Amino acid sequence: MNRLLYVQGVPFWRNVVVLRWAVQIVSAILVIAVIAGFFGNVSREIAARDIPFGYGFLDREAQIPIGESIIGYHPSDSFAYGLLVAALNTVKASVLGVILATLLGILVGVARLSPNWLLNRIALVYIEVFRNIPLLVQLLFWFLIVLSLPTVREGYVAFDAFYLSNSGVNLPWPVPQDGFWLWALVTVVGIVVAAVVARRLLWRETETGKPSYPILTGLAIAIGVSVIALLVLGPMSMGIPTPEGRFGRLQGGAELSGSFTALLIGLVMYTSSFIAEIVRAGIQSVSKGQTEAARSVGMSGILTLRHVTFPQSLRVIIPPTISQYLNLTKNSSLAAAIGYPDLVSVASTMTQTAPAISLILVVMLTYLAMSLTYSLIGNLYNRAIRFKGT
Amino acid sequence: MSAAVATGAMGRPPPPPPMTVGYVGWLRQNLFSSWINSLVTVVLAAVLAWAAIGLISWVIVTADWEVITSRVQLYLVGLYPQEGTWRPQVAVLLLSALLGVSWRSWGGTARGFAIGLSAVALIVGVIPHGLQPLNRVLVLAIPAAVGLGYLVSPRLIAGRPRRVVAAALLAIFVGLLLIRGIEGVPGLDPVNTNTIGGLLLNLLLALFGIGASMPIGIGLALGRQSNLPVVKWACVAFIEIIRGVPLITLLFMSRHILPLTFPENIKIDTLYITGITIMLFSSAYMAENVRGGMAAVAPGQTEAARALGLRGWQTTLLITLPQGLRNIIPAIVGQFISLFKDTSLVFIIGMLDLVEMGRVTIQSNLEFVDNGREVYLFIAVVFWIFCFSMSYVSRRIERALGVGRR
Repeated sequence: MNRLLYVQGVPFWRNVVVLRWAVQIVSAILVIAVIAGFFGNVSREIAARDIPFGYGFLDREAQIPIGESIIGYHPSDSFAYGLLVAALNTVKASVLGVILATLLGILVGVARLSPNWLLNRIALVYIEVFRNIPLLVQLLFWFLIVLSLPTVREGYVAFDAFYLSNSGVNLPWPVPQDGFWLWALVTVVGIVVAAVVARRLLWRETETGKPSYPILTGLAIAIGVSVIALLVLGPMSMGIPTPEGRFGRLQGGAELSGSFTALLIGLVMYTSSFIAEIVRAGIQSVSKGQTEAARSVGMSGILTLRHVTFPQSLRVIIPPTISQYLNLTKNSSLAAAIGYPDLVSVASTMTQTAPAISLILVVMLTYLAMSLTYSLIGNLYNRAIRFKGT
Repeated sequence: MSAAVATGAMGRPPPPPPMTVGYVGWLRQNLFSSWINSLVTVVLAAVLAWAAIGLISWVIVTADWEVITSRVQLYLVGLYPQEGTWRPQVAVLLLSALLGVSWRSWGGTARGFAIGLSAVALIVGVIPHGLQPLNRVLVLAIPAAVGLGYLVSPRLIAGRPRRVVAAALLAIFVGLLLIRGIEGVPGLDPVNTNTIGGLLLNLLLALFGIGASMPIGIGLALGRQSNLPVVKWACVAFIEIIRGVPLITLLFMSRHILPLTFPENIKIDTLYITGITIMLFSSAYMAENVRGGMAAVAPGQTEAARALGLRGWQTTLLITLPQGLRNIIPAIVGQFISLFKDTSLVFIIGMLDLVEMGRVTIQSNLEFVDNGREVYLFIAVVFWIFCFSMSYVSRRIERALGVGRR
C-alpha cells in the first residue's frame, strides 16, 4: 500500500508529476466546461428562439445587389459566390492599400529625417494628424469630399484619359486580348530565367569580387523578355475611358467607384502615418557610426540611405510593418460605413435573407485566414533575417 | 567641401565657414543649405501658405458652424436627459480638480494640461451656443475646480503620493455612479443606458474597456506562458482569434450571440453588450502587451528570485509581473488611444457615439445637409485633441520611466 502512495519517500499528493497532471486535467475540464457551456447555451437558445442557423443558404440565389466585382456578379448567383465576390473586393482594397501606404509611408518617414526643417515639420504634422483621428471619421470625410465633386460631365479631366468626378476615378487600363495567356507564360519564364541569372551573377560577385550587377541584369532580362513578348504578341489593348451617351457615362478603362476611392484614400493616409513612424524609428535605429563611415568613404546622403542605412534598418522596419498591413486589411472592413461592398458590408446586407450567425462566422473565418497568412509571411521573414550564429 | 580643403592645402586661406549662429545661420543651416534644399523650401512654403490661407478663410468665412453650436449637447452626451446633464459635468469637475492636484505635485505636463483645459472651458463658456445656463455655469466652473485642486493638493497628498491614485480611482467611481444614477436617490434617478451617447459614450467605453481588460489581459498573458499545454493553447487560441478579426465583426457577432448567453427573460442593454465585447477585444491586445513587458524583464531577476527560494508563482507575482507592468505603461496608453478611436465603430450595433451622432445630424436635418465638412472637422478635432494629448503624456512617461534605456 505504502509503495503505491509514496515514491522515493514523497507522498503522491506532493509529487510534482502527479500534481502537474492533476492541475492539467482540472484546467482541461474547466476550459472544456466553459466552451461547452457557452456553445451549449447558445445552440440551445438558437433552437429555442427559432433563430435560423446552418449553411444550406450558401447554394441559394443571393438576390442582393453588389455594386462592384472584379469577377462579375449577378443577383441570381448563389450566396457562396456573392461572398467570394465580396472577399475579393476586400482583397482588392487591401492589396492596393498596402502598396500605396508602403510607398507613401516610406516617403513621409524619410522626409521626417530630412535636414530641411520645413519638410521635416510637414512630415511630422502629417503623421500626428492622420494617426490621431479615427479612421472612420477620415473615411466619412473623404467620401463626403468625393460625393461633393462635380458630375462626370463637368468633372476634372487630364489628358482626355483620367477622369475625377463624384462617381469616382476613371483611368486607362489594359484589356487582355487573344495572346494574353501566352504572354503571361513567356513573362513568367523570363522572370525565372532572370532570377537564375541574377543568382549566378551574385555568386560570381561574392566569389571573385568583380562587380557583376546581379539585380540590374536580372531586372533587365525580366523586363526585356516581357516587353519584347508584349510587342510581338500584342496581348493587350489599352482601354481608355471615353464619355458616351447623353449623360456622358464613361465607358472603357478601369473605374474606381466613389466609395472605393474614399476607402483607398482613407486607408492609405491612416496606415502610411503609422508606417512613416516605423520607417523613421527603423532608420534612426541604425547606429550613427554606419552613416559616418559611409559619408567618410565619400558616399552622398542619398547613396548612404540607399546602400547603408536603409538595408540595415529593414530588419527593424519589416516586422511591425507587416502587422500594419494586417491592421489595414482588418480596417478595410470599415468600408461598410461608406457603402463599398466589402466582406462585412455584403454579409450584413445578406443577413436580411440568410442566417446572421452563420454568415458572420464565415466572415470571421475569412479574416482569420487573411491574418494567418500575414503572420506566416512575418514568421518566414523573421526566420530568414535571423542573425546566423557562426 | 573637398574643393575648399584642397585650396586650403595649396596655401591660400580657405573661405570662412558659413555662419551657423543666429537667425540667419539657423535659416541657412536648416532651410537653405543647398540649392536643392532652397528649392524644396520655397515650393513647400508656397504650397503651405496657399493651403493655410484656404483653410483659414474656409473656417472663418465659408463654414457655417451652427450645425455644431446648436447641438453641442447631442455631440457631448447624446440623448442623455436634459435635466440630468449636470451629472456628467460634475464628473468632469472632479477630474479637473484631480488635474489641479497633479499640477501642484508634479508640474510639467500636468500644468500644461490644466491651463489648456481651463482656457478651452473659458472659451466654450462664453461663445454663443445652445447650452442651458446651468450647463454653461458648470463649464465655467472647470477652471475653479482646477484651482481648488491646486490649493488643496498639499493637504491631500501630505507626503504620500499614493493618495493621488486613490483619489483618482474614487473620483472615477463617483463620476460613473453620477452618470449612471443611483436607485432611490432623488435627483439621481438611474438613466436609461441607451440614452448615453456622443463623446461621453466613447470615453466611457474606452475607459471601461481598458480598465476591465487589465485583469483579463494579465491572466491571459500568464496563461500563455504557462507550461500546462491545455491552459497555454486555450489562451493562445483566444488571443489569436480575437486579434485576427476586425472589431466590427466582433461587435456584429456579439449583437447576435451575446443575448443568447443570458436567460431569455433578462433583456440585456446594448451598452453592456458593447462594453463586454470591447473588453474582450481589448484584453487580447492587453495580453500581448503584458507578455512583451514581462519578456523585457531581465532574466537575472527570475534567476535571482529562484535562487532565493521563491516558488514559481511567487516569482511571477512578486518579481516579473510588477516589473513587467511598469514596462508597459506607455504601451497601455497607446492601446487606450487606439481603443478610444475604435469606439467609433459602435455605430454598427446602432449606438449613437460622437461620429454616428454627427452622421445622423447631417442626414436627418435638411438644413444641415450641406454642413458635413463642418461636422466631420469638428469631430476630427475633438478626437485629435484627446489622442494627441494622450500620446504626448505617454511619451513623457516613457522618458520618465527610462523604458528602453535600461
